[in-house]
Amino acid sequence: MMNQGGNTEALAPAEAHLLELYIVLVEYRNLFLFLCQNQYGDASQLQSSSFVPPATGSEAVAWTIHRVDNSSTENGIYSNPTYQYDQSTQPPARSIQDGLTAAPVAGNLSSLGTANVPQDYNTYTSYPSSSNPYGYGSTGYSGYYNSYQQQPNYSYSQPVGAYQNTGAPYQPISSFQNTGSYAASGSYSSTYYNPGDYQTSGGYQSSSYGNQSTLWNNGSYPNHSSHQYTNYTPATTGAYGSGTVPSTSLQYQQHYKQWADYYSQTEVSCAPGTENTSVSSASNLGCPIPGITSGYATPNTQPLPSYASSWGPDSGSSSMPSLQPGAVISGAHDEYWKQGAQKSQIHHTIPIQPNFQKPLDLKSSYDNFQDQHKTAPSHGPNLQYATAQQMPQNYQSRLQASPSLDTRTASKLQIPTNPRIASNLTVGFPKIDKDNSTTSAAAKPAYISVSMPEPDGKVLSNDEANSLLKPGMFPKSLRSYVEKVTARCKDDIQMAACQAVMKKMITKATADGTLYTRNWDMEPLFPIPNADLVNKDSECSTLDSSLPKHKRSPSRRSKSRWEPLPEEKLVDKTVPINNNNVKYSGWLHDNERNRKMVVENAESKVDRLRNTKFSPLVQKNTGRTPQRAFKKQRLADGSNSNEYGDTSSDSDKEQNLMVYHSGAMALMDSPEERKKRENRSKRFDKGQRQRVESNHFRPRNFGAGNLYTRRTSSSVLSKNFDDSSSRAVEDIDWDALTVKGSCQEIEKRYLRLTSVPDPATVRPEEVLTKALLMVQNSQKNYLYKCDQLKSIRQDLTVQRIRNQLTVKVYETHARLAIEVGDLPEYNQCQSQLKTLYAEGVEGCHMEFAAYNLLCVILHSNNNRDLLSSMSRLSDEAKKQEAVKHALAVRAAVTSGNYVMFFRLYQTAPNLNTCLMDLYVEKMRYNAVNCMCRSYRPTVPVSYVAQVLGFSAIMAGNGGSDEKDTDAMEECIEWLKAHGAIIIADNDGDMILDAKASCSSLYMPEPEDAVTHGDANLAVNDFLARTSL
Amino acid sequence: MAYLSMGEAHRRITEYLNRFCDAVSSQDGASLKSLFALSSNSPSFLALADALNLFQDANRLIKQSDQYSQFGEIVVPLFRSLQNYKQGSLAEAHNAFEKSASAFIQEFRNWDSAWALEALYVIVYEIRVLAERADKQLASNGKSPEKLKGAGSFLMKVFGVLAGKGPKRVGALYATCQLFKIYFKLGTVHLCRSVIRSIETARIFDFEEFPKRDKVTYMYYTGRLEVLNENFPAADHKLSYALLHCNPHSEANIRMILKYLIPVKLSIGILPKDWLLEKYNLLEYRNVVQSLTRGDLRLLRRALQDHEDRFLRSGVYLVLEKLELQVYQRLVKKIYIIQKQKDPSKAHQVKLEVIVKALKWLDMDMDADEVECIMAILIFKNLVKGYFAHKSKVVVLSKQDPFPKLNGKPVNS
Repeated sequence: MMNQGGNTEALAPAEAHLLELYIVLVEYRNLFLFLCQNQYGDASQLQSSSFVPPATGSEAVAWTIHRVDNSSTENGIYSNPTYQYDQSTQPPARSIQDGLTAAPVAGNLSSLGTANVPQDYNTYTSYPSSSNPYGYGSTGYSGYYNSYQQQPNYSYSQPVGAYQNTGAPYQPISSFQNTGSYAASGSYSSTYYNPGDYQTSGGYQSSSYGNQSTLWNNGSYPNHSSHQYTNYTPATTGAYGSGTVPSTSLQYQQHYKQWADYYSQTEVSCAPGTENTSVSSASNLGCPIPGITSGYATPNTQPLPSYASSWGPDSGSSSMPSLQPGAVISGAHDEYWKQGAQKSQIHHTIPIQPNFQKPLDLKSSYDNFQDQHKTAPSHGPNLQYATAQQMPQNYQSRLQASPSLDTRTASKLQIPTNPRIASNLTVGFPKIDKDNSTTSAAAKPAYISVSMPEPDGKVLSNDEANSLLKPGMFPKSLRSYVEKVTARCKDDIQMAACQAVMKKMITKATADGTLYTRNWDMEPLFPIPNADLVNKDSECSTLDSSLPKHKRSPSRRSKSRWEPLPEEKLVDKTVPINNNNVKYSGWLHDNERNRKMVVENAESKVDRLRNTKFSPLVQKNTGRTPQRAFKKQRLADGSNSNEYGDTSSDSDKEQNLMVYHSGAMALMDSPEERKKRENRSKRFDKGQRQRVESNHFRPRNFGAGNLYTRRTSSSVLSKNFDDSSSRAVEDIDWDALTVKGSCQEIEKRYLRLTSVPDPATVRPEEVLTKALLMVQNSQKNYLYKCDQLKSIRQDLTVQRIRNQLTVKVYETHARLAIEVGDLPEYNQCQSQLKTLYAEGVEGCHMEFAAYNLLCVILHSNNNRDLLSSMSRLSDEAKKQEAVKHALAVRAAVTSGNYVMFFRLYQTAPNLNTCLMDLYVEKMRYNAVNCMCRSYRPTVPVSYVAQVLGFSAIMAGNGGSDEKDTDAMEECIEWLKAHGAIIIADNDGDMILDAKASCSSLYMPEPEDAVTHGDANLAVNDFLARTSL
Repeated sequence: MAYLSMGEAHRRITEYLNRFCDAVSSQDGASLKSLFALSSNSPSFLALADALNLFQDANRLIKQSDQYSQFGEIVVPLFRSLQNYKQGSLAEAHNAFEKSASAFIQEFRNWDSAWALEALYVIVYEIRVLAERADKQLASNGKSPEKLKGAGSFLMKVFGVLAGKGPKRVGALYATCQLFKIYFKLGTVHLCRSVIRSIETARIFDFEEFPKRDKVTYMYYTGRLEVLNENFPAADHKLSYALLHCNPHSEANIRMILKYLIPVKLSIGILPKDWLLEKYNLLEYRNVVQSLTRGDLRLLRRALQDHEDRFLRSGVYLVLEKLELQVYQRLVKKIYIIQKQKDPSKAHQVKLEVIVKALKWLDMDMDADEVECIMAILIFKNLVKGYFAHKSKVVVLSKQDPFPKLNGKPVNS
């Protein structure tokens, strides 16, 4: 407890995330509990009868712990942006995990399921640390899958998961693998290997459960062991001590406190059932330890029944013993969790108890684990990690277990989990270290002590709840629902909300099938409203109704229990979260829900008390959340509640921007514009909603794709703000956003707008006039001028300036483009000029009509275009010199009259020459070709040079001989380059041998040809551009 | 307008509905098509429009009866279209008619036989005509005319319905032709390509199987496309087919075909008789033809200038302009013949200055270099056999067939 307290202080900032994660975890736990109850209900009850009080209490705790873990993992995911959060969350998660590991066995399935969810989140978050947990979770899932498919596999997988979780676990895994499911684990291992941890999840997906299990054992073990060991060792050494504790301390402290309460509750439960185990787990976890321990105990009890059946032999015999020694610590817990979830919680419980005992001697227990798993050195950290990881795994396992049928979901979960796992590992280690350092030494004991008393009362309640829950546990379908939900949740904060909704749904719906269907269907819708609704519901209805329900049916009871507890816890968590961030509120809601669920499950007095105390806070939170949530939901409903918070803030900002812009626009306001704005804003909202909806749907629709969607959604969530803004930009109505520029810089580089133009960077018209003059008088190269002109054009467009200045700018740019032969740019300007002229803006209309005509004639070679542009010319235009010239050029080109062409070439007005330049080569070649065919026997080169414009310079009036010879040499060079055969006649004059040249003419490859066809993209130009 | 009683209005509407239902139930395409011929301005339609304006509750009437309501999706928008049409709001009329047509196509899909093809033809026609008129109205109101564009995409849908196996495929060419009309009007003839490709390459289509009138229309439009592409042999083939199969009594159609066929024939050296130009009122070509026979470049240029707008719009300007080379050829040939009469031994040597002088007589102000260039081009294009001696500035003609006739082949390019 002390440790926890310290942790929470440090973690304070991260707490919100943690809280959220916790909430999610709690939700998961609840779900899992439901599932467990359903699945194992009978068995668990039986077991519970034997273990009953402890088991139930422990289970509740375990669930809570698991949830916590999940929440932590989730936090990590969510917190992707903020690593601190992740870390903080992770530590709690670890603690939770530990607790989970301890309790988990009982609730492994549930915990696993939840873990999976968190893992997914982790993956999304992409935190290495989180990813690690994910990987674990995934492994756990795989293990679950395996177990589902094959119980032995499950057991193996569980070990595998344990391995993944921590170096120590890995070793244990190996042992486990050895025992049972090497083959199955092979696949897992492969997957694990690939990502390190992350990939394992993918591997899980790919391989079938059975296969996976084998695979896991084979490959994963070595990999895991290596990875885990490395990770663990470092983590344990440094990371544990330093990283997590500080970051999470503040936040975690609160959480821890809550958790502690929970734990205490759980511990109490554990105490009765498995005090030792709980203690040990608590010690392992450190702060979370209490909860963990309790959780362990509880899970163990719960799992025991179900697991016992499947895993009975393995878990019971091997796992139990092994777990007790080794499992007690994280590794054992993990394995147990996995195994327990898959096979039977009982095993876990059994080990847990031993674990607990050992945990008291945290190190000793670790050692035990290590011994079992061979990961003694890293066991302490490993255990913690493992637990943390296990927690996610547990969640996953829950999810998987419930969906065990849903291999897809599992696979999905796994995939996301892998990345998360990786992140988790990293994060988790540091956290663990912290936990270890802080909690392991003193915190663990303190926690234990504290937890113990509280748990007792809670335990009793928990036991009752458990017993109730067990019989009423939801079927696998529910689990699958939970898994799916969790998976979604992982994707987004919303997912957590969805989970909460799911819980509500479950509580409400007595029928399993309906729950499943409803949950699935409802989840997407709920997530958004969840925060608000859930909070409210949890506060008002859930507590009240849940309690009665619990009494009525185990499932309901469990739910009710969960609900109340979560509320209290949530409230606590939420309060800090709220303080921390508005965004968190959404998470808080989720967390609250989770917590409530947990609380309800436990139905502990303490929880109730807390609930009462916290309720106001929660309400406050909820109050905040709804508003925010609504906005947020619009923006980033798809994302989780955290994301919602973020997104909402982002969206708000965006909206503010919009408002600002609109306000700017308002100067010219007219009712129509207002309407437009309103429509636009509505569109924006719709778009956001749609986005959110789409996000929700994605996860739902695709099990396997869920992971991906989750990842994407998580990324989206993290980027929601930006996305929304960018989206908004796309939808921007430039009319409405017309800007009045205030920038006084004459020179401005062109940058394509990707967002609403900032008036501060837009130049007003008078500055643009100067800028145009500057460009016109500039001695710099075309690329510079083009850049400047484009920025001028942009500023004009943004400000909707369409006057003579605009025409001047486009004309200037078009002329420049013609001069350098930049036809694409010219065409852009020409099309703009066309509309500007059509609007009646004065300019050099005729000049550009001629350019247009020449362009069509010389470069498009399209008769239809030519005809249409010719028919569009007015009689007046045809009398204009430039147009007349262009038409004459056209006639010369169509008739092939090269003499006429080059005469026109030499007398071209304006920049017609430049456009004709682009056609000269072709014309000359055709002309020489024609001459060679029709002239016999020879043609003097001087004539060719004169006719084909080589002597253009001297054509004016008696050019000097120098120029003449220059033209001659140029012509000879050109003719030779084109394969013409030139000989010298008797007088020494160069003559063209027409007949001989007839067959030897060819068109040389243009020197500046570029392989990609666009000379503008030539490297030279590129360099020139960059050097600007 | 005579007073129209409510009962009379009701009677007219129910009569129309009954006719519609009867036509469908008896699969009477001929009577069904008359029920869609909106722009025919038939008295019965005008009367129905009046009735609809008076009897505002026709929709309820349709919905009340099972017999009518099954065609409600066709008839309700059709009535609305008719009302708008009568009131002169053509854009709305077109919109409603297109809605009705869409519903009809849905029904049409379900009819195995092609009995309703005639009705579909009418609908397709109405769509196009309504769109054209609506665009005109929109343009005059300063709005952007885009109904015809929409009609084009709608007809593509119709084409998709018809282009399949089964008896309905013979209707595909009609839709194609209507599409051509739209595309040519819009100036987006490049869109014809895809339809042409499916008509000419799809195995389900046997060109001879289509109705003759559609074949003629199709050949006319594809021939015009070939004229634009200056692919004269193909254009000659298609337009000649159209001319050959065109109803000899529809002189307007023949004139349209000849408007393109004559330039094509001129390009390949075949001149029309003067009576043909007169009969079909194609006198703008008379001077062109005369300039070719006389080698009178001035006449050709004047003819092109006089009818520039018309030629540019119909798209034959560039084709006619290319006749210049044949005019030069004719001119040189004339000189050659005169020289031959004077001095057969030196007739094959035509001095450049003689040609320049001849062109001067025609008020063609061209210097020697330019004429030399023209001669080189004539030789290059094989309109004149021989060579040009630059040193002596003489065109040396081949002694055998110095001026080869085109004989249905286009000038070498």
